[in-house]
Amino acid sequence: MSYDPHREDYQRLGLRFARSLDGKDPAAATRAFASFGRRFSQNRDSLPQSDADRAFHLVAEATTLIDYELPFADDDRAEKLIDQGHRLLDEALALDARCHDAIRMKLAAESPSFESYYDFLTKGADDVRAACEEARAQAHDESPERALLEADIAMRPYYRWLATQAGKAVICGRNREAIRIGEQLLELDPLDCADVRFTCAIAYAKLEDDAGLDRFAARTKPLRRANTDDAWMQISRISLAHKRHDMDEARHLLARLIDTYPHAAMALTSQKELPDGVFARLAVAPFSEDELILAVSEGTVLLQEGRDDAGRGVLGTWIARHTGLDGKPEATR
Amino acid sequence: MNLHEELMERLARRRSASLGGLSDAAYAELLLAVREQPEAYVDDPRDDAFNQIVKAVDRVMRSREDDDLRDDEEFMRERSQRMERLRRDCAQALATAPESVHARLLNILASDLEPDGQLDELLALERSVEAERGPLTVPTSGDAWHDIFTHGRLRLQACIARTCLDSARYRMANEYGQALIAVSPCDAVGARHTCSLCLARLEDEQGFDALDARFDRRGDSWQQLGRTILFYKLGRMAAARRALMGYASLCEGGPYALLRPVMVDTYLPDRPAADPYSFAEVTLAVHEADPVICDVPDFCTWAEAQGTFGKDARSFADRNGFGW
Repeated sequence: MSYDPHREDYQRLGLRFARSLDGKDPAAATRAFASFGRRFSQNRDSLPQSDADRAFHLVAEATTLIDYELPFADDDRAEKLIDQGHRLLDEALALDARCHDAIRMKLAAESPSFESYYDFLTKGADDVRAACEEARAQAHDESPERALLEADIAMRPYYRWLATQAGKAVICGRNREAIRIGEQLLELDPLDCADVRFTCAIAYAKLEDDAGLDRFAARTKPLRRANTDDAWMQISRISLAHKRHDMDEARHLLARLIDTYPHAAMALTSQKELPDGVFARLAVAPFSEDELILAVSEGTVLLQEGRDDAGRGVLGTWIARHTGLDGKPEATR
Repeated sequence: MNLHEELMERLARRRSASLGGLSDAAYAELLLAVREQPEAYVDDPRDDAFNQIVKAVDRVMRSREDDDLRDDEEFMRERSQRMERLRRDCAQALATAPESVHARLLNILASDLEPDGQLDELLALERSVEAERGPLTVPTSGDAWHDIFTHGRLRLQACIARTCLDSARYRMANEYGQALIAVSPCDAVGARHTCSLCLARLEDEQGFDALDARFDRRGDSWQQLGRTILFYKLGRMAAARRALMGYASLCEGGPYALLRPVMVDTYLPDRPAADPYSFAEVTLAVHEADPVICDVPDFCTWAEAQGTFGKDARSFADRNGFGW
């Protein structure tokens, strides 16, 4: 699912616009709404909006540059993208000093270490929660559906904050903390729009808690897409089998992962480590090659463990060795 | 844990058994005689093989003494030659007594395999030994270490535990270590050190504390380092800081050892002996903890910034003429 900032930007203005039509006669309202999409894309200044909405729009623009363009840019262009992205975030904060997405994204770049970023997120979490809850309390809308969406949008910066915090906790080697934060988020957002359960799966594997992961998988089973385990869950299970030295099972699970994702061999042999999305985990199509690349990148903490001269990690080396380039696990070819 | 001394005891035990069991006084006398002229008592092929292994390990250790003087290239060449020689020595010992656990174990260690491959070999060896001699159990004496002829198996188990740690199998490493402590509570092979590091890595505070209590909270470099990592991982920073200060004050040169880890060569088959909390011990602890420390990427940066930790590391380097 992940968070698409442009969609959220659209939802925010859509809600406000719809509210501005309340009380008008339905035919006029329908006519007016028909023009919303065009005005949103071509003349958004003509639409009613608050400074917070304007700030969020800038966050969405910055996300495009930093999360979606930067990883593919050459050095020259990268520098420009970073400057541009940060200018947008500064502008967002000038419009809305409580734009927590912008605050979080700026700190991601400014923090000198994983640890200091994680600290910052930990220290700020309660304030963000309070601010989002306050915004949610102020949400008012005659339509119950719109009220629900508005309340949800009000909380999203906090959800993203927690999801980032959980992800960083794993990177900092604090796996119990990661699970605790993930559980907190799942309780607040049972539909798990942030897909924090992916992060939790990795944390359970890091703790080598097979039973814990089983219970967690059973509990989050309703969230499974297409009735299939996602790559994060599958990589966690491969890692656990490898850690138990149940190599037949590990090979079997690797074969299943290769069957689940297209062009899996490429992602599993190259094991690219991508920068994490600073707005949120990148939005990619479910069960696409891109999704596997993201999961493998986040699974680096599992792949690169152990004493390994090649610098690839014990599991990383094993996976690369047992993934045939034709996408069939070596053992079954 | 001195292989020479073990050879003497093996020879005396074997001779004593063939004589139908001796009184304590007679055994003590026999042991003296064996020490005088050990070769005269080597009449079992298994002891002959063990004797060859003791000599082979000696040879490696002597060659290692000059490693500090060698440049990288020379060191690598020298090292690969001596490991190859060790493999040949093991092959010869195995020709004398194919069942020698020590020879088979050292042969695996001398092969310089990556952790996954080494673990496969060690587990295969464990299975063979178990098939030959049955499962390792607690003897009536209460400690498997009391039987000199079991030392090879205990070393194999300790080696499996360490290789599990190296291959990022921390739960399995801890299980092997704990099983070893169960059959040999004196833990001469130091399985508890591996367990400490693994329990810290697994963020298992209860398990860590139980292990500490099991050994009467005697403490050592692994325990101090493990406790610091554990609290750090759990985000209990005040406790982590206290543990770090304890580590720095108890372990000689601890800050330097952590911030400037050095390469430690393969254990053959034991962890080298070191005095409690000595610089040599903490160097081993940091080396063994490397995979665990790498998993907490900012741990060393944090440690360096606490109190005088960084300064202490540098002044230790200056005092001892180490580079920084």
